[in-house]
Amino acid sequence: MASAPPITNRIRELREARGGMSQAALAEAIGVTRQTVIAIERGKYSPSLESAFRIARVFGLGIEDVFGWEAPPAA
Amino acid sequence: MSVIETVANMSFREKSAWGMGLILSAGAVSYFGKVMSLSEALGRTAPPIIGFVIAYVVFIVIASVIVMSVLAGMAGKEADAPADEREKIIADKAGNWSGYVLAVPALGGLWHYSVNLDGNMLFHLVFLSLMLSQISEYAFQIFLYRRGG
Repeated sequence: MASAPPITNRIRELREARGGMSQAALAEAIGVTRQTVIAIERGKYSPSLESAFRIARVFGLGIEDVFGWEAPPAA
Repeated sequence: MSVIETVANMSFREKSAWGMGLILSAGAVSYFGKVMSLSEALGRTAPPIIGFVIAYVVFIVIASVIVMSVLAGMAGKEADAPADEREKIIADKAGNWSGYVLAVPALGGLWHYSVNLDGNMLFHLVFLSLMLSQISEYAFQIFLYRRGG
């Protein structure tokens, strides 16, 4: 099993802050399927840079306000 | 989450992968069931029977059209939308992995032929490798969709 990518995100929190924006509505706004939004939210899939920018724009934020990098501790 | 909820939450392409994987598996089981029965009756490897191959292809085409039409009717506009970035990556990975599945029985068939000079078995093993490769491509897609990407 592949380990989860070290990219964190606040998409769920931001959706809820915008009056409970649905995953389907966000998916349509950025041009992906709802299942892809679910995978991104759960940290199972790292979006392309283009989709990351699109998501950030939907929320009117910068990309680093939505996504973070949580590097695993050095061995 | 119940099975119905799980299926309802699948994307159109994941449902398509399930549908095609099941159709191809049923076709492969039916085809090789007939080949094995005939081989047992003959007491040696059955020769390629073009009628079996045509029946297999006709079954696959008709069943695929029916299943894909039903799924597309249920999916609405999702069925018309092009694959998104994650779906393209999944299709690429599954296609790449299934290439290895294609190679293993085909090489086994060549090795078997070089030892036994059984051309009938070579035909069946190459045909089997094509079937397994296609089935495994859908299986890998399903695995990747379930995993997230």
